[in-house]
Amino acid sequence: MECRELTDYAVDRLLGEAAAPERDELERHLAGCGSCSRELAALEETWGELGTDRDDPVTPEFRVRTLELLEDEMSRRRIREFHPRKRALRIFAQAAALAVAAAAGFLVAARGGFPARPVSAGSPLEPAAGANTAPDLAVNPRLSNVAYRTEPDGRVGIEFDSTTRHSVLGRPEDPQISRLLAYLLSLNVQTAGEKSRAIELVSGHSGPGAAEASPDVVSALGATLKRDRNPGVRKKAAEALASFRSTPEIRAALLDALASDPNPGVRLVAVEALAASAKETPDPKTIQSLREKAFDPQENGFVRARAASALKAIDL
Amino acid sequence: MAGGLIDDRSLLERIRRGDAGGAEELFERYAPALLRFASRMLSDRETAEEVTQEVFVKVISRAHQYDGRAAVSSWLFAIAANACRDRKRHDRRATIVPLEAVGDLSASGEGADARLESRQRRAAVRQALASLSDEQREALVLARYHGLPYAEISKVLGISVGAVKTRIFRAVETLKARFSEGERSWNAAN
Repeated sequence: MECRELTDYAVDRLLGEAAAPERDELERHLAGCGSCSRELAALEETWGELGTDRDDPVTPEFRVRTLELLEDEMSRRRIREFHPRKRALRIFAQAAALAVAAAAGFLVAARGGFPARPVSAGSPLEPAAGANTAPDLAVNPRLSNVAYRTEPDGRVGIEFDSTTRHSVLGRPEDPQISRLLAYLLSLNVQTAGEKSRAIELVSGHSGPGAAEASPDVVSALGATLKRDRNPGVRKKAAEALASFRSTPEIRAALLDALASDPNPGVRLVAVEALAASAKETPDPKTIQSLREKAFDPQENGFVRARAASALKAIDL
Repeated sequence: MAGGLIDDRSLLERIRRGDAGGAEELFERYAPALLRFASRMLSDRETAEEVTQEVFVKVISRAHQYDGRAAVSSWLFAIAANACRDRKRHDRRATIVPLEAVGDLSASGEGADARLESRQRRAAVRQALASLSDEQREALVLARYHGLPYAEISKVLGISVGAVKTRIFRAVETLKARFSEGERSWNAAN
């Protein structure tokens, strides 16, 4: 071994990757070389110094937040990957279900039927007393235990606890429902999954050509996009804003996200929405922002490419 | 690394089948290591947490792409290394490590002086790590803090074993010079 090979040998030793002959060779060299002994001691000290940097632990808040995000992501994936059953299989499944139901009915009838069960006021299947009445949102009520459901006719059912259990049913575009959804969205007590569901309900019934989103909804989505700590929720808020007819307020929220959101997925949604909007209405601020992104070497490649192709498509 | 090879693969299989429990189990096993990696590669705790989340979201969408050539842990670190590079490309602030970003060690039971010194040493290490090139830092962090052998690091980073060794040697040499320079400044100041 020669002195110039010391670092090579020493790092192998520090990593525990040095073979026995290599270790012996190093020891023999160190016995006769004072400068390499001092150098090795310095390298070992450096290695030890790195150990003073303690590990960052996973906090309970981060764990909860991430598990919610992952569950949400898994649910979305299950929805995307749903494949309808083949017709023959569906008929067979329906026939089997009928047979099971008939057999169960027969057994219940033979035993004298179910005992009568009172329907509780908070049952999700029955409207509570005072159903279809939302609380007065002007007094900032504390709402909890929120549950959503979508009826086959497109109406949305929202249940929550305030002073009592409330159950409200209506179309998402109804002002009362729209205000309630926006209010629920602004509550920090909601989990990422609940917020995502509220966002889906707000945006699911709108689309290009639909009526403008209410100011309450735009404001709540804009605040979520700006401040929510969960990138999955912010991305959903951006997608929801993108699903509405573009307005100056929506453009401002998306421009802000494109300029400052740390997550490239969120910025990508923002750039796509702004590109679509600029194609319809070539707003100078939007075009300037797309131009900056297209030429920003620090920007994510997908975002940059999308901004560039959007500029090409706009008739400037 | 936590979890056996077969168990990790069966977790990925569960994720592929849409079982949220598989994702949760994978998170419990690897989130601490991935968060440690990201926090040493990036500027602050919040960014490291976001990148760690991104890694798990990518795992869900890419579980079917895992081809079994490397350990699942190596595959996860490779996704994390790419995510950190992407984030740094976007955010130049990643090279600045403020003292307050290294956290409060008050829970450690040390005295005030010891706490302050410990915090200063930790900040000095983070600043020294930040002074390395991304390539050197990735290799060094995987070796020093995660105990990955050369062969595994080479799979994570997609480079040869020789290149891994070179990056670690250079990183250690740079840090040695930096620490001894820091020592001299410290002695001169006192």
